[in-house]
Amino acid sequence: MAGEIGLEALQAPAWLGDAGLARCRRALTGKLARETWKYSPLGKVTQALLDAPMARGSPLVDAPEQVRVRRFTALPSPPECRINLHRYPLAGIVAALAGDGWLAEVAETPDRPLRLPAATPGVAAPLLLRVGAGCRVEIEETDAGASTIADVSGPQRLGEVVDRATRGRRSNKAPVNSPQVLAARAPEAESEGTSATHDNQGTLATRVVLLFLAQTAEVRWSRADLAPAREGWSLLAAELDEDASLTFNHQSLAAAFQRLDVSVALHGAGARFGSTGAALASAGAQLDLQYVIEHIGHRTVSRVKQHNLASGKARCTFNGRIHIHPHASGADADLSNRNLALSANADINTKPELEIYNDDVRCAHGATVGRLDDDALFYLQSRGLPTAAAQRLLSIGFLRDGLSGPFAEQAANSFLQQLSAATSG
Amino acid sequence: MSLLQVDDLHVSVGGEAILKGLSLRMEAGEVHAIMGPNGSGKSTLANVLAGRPGYEVTGGAIAFKGHPLGQEEPEARAQAGLFLAFQYPVEIPGVSNMEFLKAAQDSHFKANGQAAESPVAFMRRVRTLADSLSLNPEFLKRGVNEGFSGGEKKRNEILQMLLLAPTLAVLDETDSGLDIDAVQTVAAGVNRFRSADNGVLLITHYQRLLNHIVPDFVHVLAEGRIVESGDRKLAETLEERGYAWLAKSG
Ligand SMILES: Nc1ncnc2c1ncn2[C@@H]1O[C@H](COP(=O)(O)OP(=O)(O)OP(=O)(O)O)[C@@H](O)[C@H]1O
Ligand SMILES: [Mg+2]
Repeated sequence: MAGEIGLEALQAPAWLGDAGLARCRRALTGKLARETWKYSPLGKVTQALLDAPMARGSPLVDAPEQVRVRRFTALPSPPECRINLHRYPLAGIVAALAGDGWLAEVAETPDRPLRLPAATPGVAAPLLLRVGAGCRVEIEETDAGASTIADVSGPQRLGEVVDRATRGRRSNKAPVNSPQVLAARAPEAESEGTSATHDNQGTLATRVVLLFLAQTAEVRWSRADLAPAREGWSLLAAELDEDASLTFNHQSLAAAFQRLDVSVALHGAGARFGSTGAALASAGAQLDLQYVIEHIGHRTVSRVKQHNLASGKARCTFNGRIHIHPHASGADADLSNRNLALSANADINTKPELEIYNDDVRCAHGATVGRLDDDALFYLQSRGLPTAAAQRLLSIGFLRDGLSGPFAEQAANSFLQQLSAATSG
Repeated sequence: MSLLQVDDLHVSVGGEAILKGLSLRMEAGEVHAIMGPNGSGKSTLANVLAGRPGYEVTGGAIAFKGHPLGQEEPEARAQAGLFLAFQYPVEIPGVSNMEFLKAAQDSHFKANGQAAESPVAFMRRVRTLADSLSLNPEFLKRGVNEGFSGGEKKRNEILQMLLLAPTLAVLDETDSGLDIDAVQTVAAGVNRFRSADNGVLLITHYQRLLNHIVPDFVHVLAEGRIVESGDRKLAETLEERGYAWLAKSG
């Protein structure tokens, strides 16, 4: 396999270590990877990563003064950076490709939200965000503009990425491990005329965020992925100390490959995670959401609500795994995933997974797959709404039910535009 | 030309014959009440008039304002002036009542070549209507019928009727689940709506409602047919004697 040459040549950054990188390589072909990447092409994504240009600069824009941002390489010693490489080998690959990372430390509640522009195509260094005890942080992750595309055009974006990746690899004889070569990769691609800087559309956007919340820290993370043609893979891996709280609002408009891994480890007693999400997958979207929530401490709480709507030939996957560890007595977990298929060609996969090793817990897990409700449709039509308008209203209602946070309205508008484009086209 | 003319209507649901030769004629300006035992086909009649999918007309004919109703979509019937107040109004989470009402009115205006009303004027009008039905304006912001009590849902149906000003309003047990005051509020709304140009088909189990909305005719629907028709006195007789005597004589 062409991709393996690149993988073998990779060098591990200090905080990952050679053993860590070896672990990633093994994990890429392991059983867990086959399971968690059942509906997404791990091999193609890995290859796309290996050939992607580097995205540079700090991921945080205009950070408030209460946030200290440094490169890993500028630190006296590499930061402690635990990550489950067995489950998330791509995170290790990204770290190795980037050769660096960003450490952002919050020791005092910032006076304004942290702005994190949406991931751009290319490989970006992982962001390690440490939120100090008692700090409250709002994070807004979004991009300014969002376009819509009609349901009829279903570009096989990932295919394009892979084509380009293979082309790039043939001409790219040099090993991709040294920083010099990494830096030279983008210009090299440019000379080929298929530059990522000229044609970013087909390149994978990546983001790896490692989030640590100290005792009673509170983070509200709002993310709007509203550029439907952008392909992306991202990981949000959070660890929470005692009574810390993480709220995650996520809205996604997808018409291409989009994968989000969310990993939350509720270590401290009373730690709490809440997530509300709505996604509209249309055209040839391959939307894949993978949540793993670990209840480790006493009385830890998680609430996950995800509404996904799939139209056209979209494939929509949600995997919600709740793992309650032996010492997590009093844990309280609630996960619900509702899916609507607007077309017969839409492919919806939802898989609830529960692993419970303590009797003193409350755990609710629900997943539904359905179509628009006939009674509701008739109700709207009986009030004079044409079928398409009634369907649109029900669809947006369903999605809105999974929206919250600062981008809720913006997302609802993008969803409506996309639904209109899909139904009038 | 009658407002509504139903001739020898046969309707099947899921392959089972429910209406078996129902005939009914209404003129503009009239209020007709339909009473009848549970399961006799009252809601079936209402649904088939509104064009609900799954209700198969196997015989007979319906004419609304002189136009035969055949395969018309529910929205076309609504836009032509037919309104059904549901026995069980549907909850639609995520769609605000106000947004729903505006979409409904806009579709009527559009179908009739009228320009849409400005949102401000619209909201003012809807608030006034809600007020007249003792419906808290807060309900306009909530999801359509979401978490509404039974009585609130019914008042919301009447609100829609008043807003859309149909020529034929079919009210399917709108009085069920209403408290004593709410029956009067709703009845006042219906009476305000009544005019020489429109008609009301009231489906009810209770003669009580007919003290507030005085019908011109009362019909008894049993086993898929109108088995008895009369004036409001018929409702009083039914209240006293039930339906059994009709079945025996019919
Ligand atoms: N979708 C359906 N599938 C099968 N049978 C149905 C369906 N809808 C109605 N029916 C049957 O048709 C008959 C008439 O129902 P309908 O709802 O019209 O009665 P109704 O007179 O309105 O009764 P109620 O007073 O209880 O509201 C009932 O026996 C009912 O079970
Ligand atoms: Mg009924």
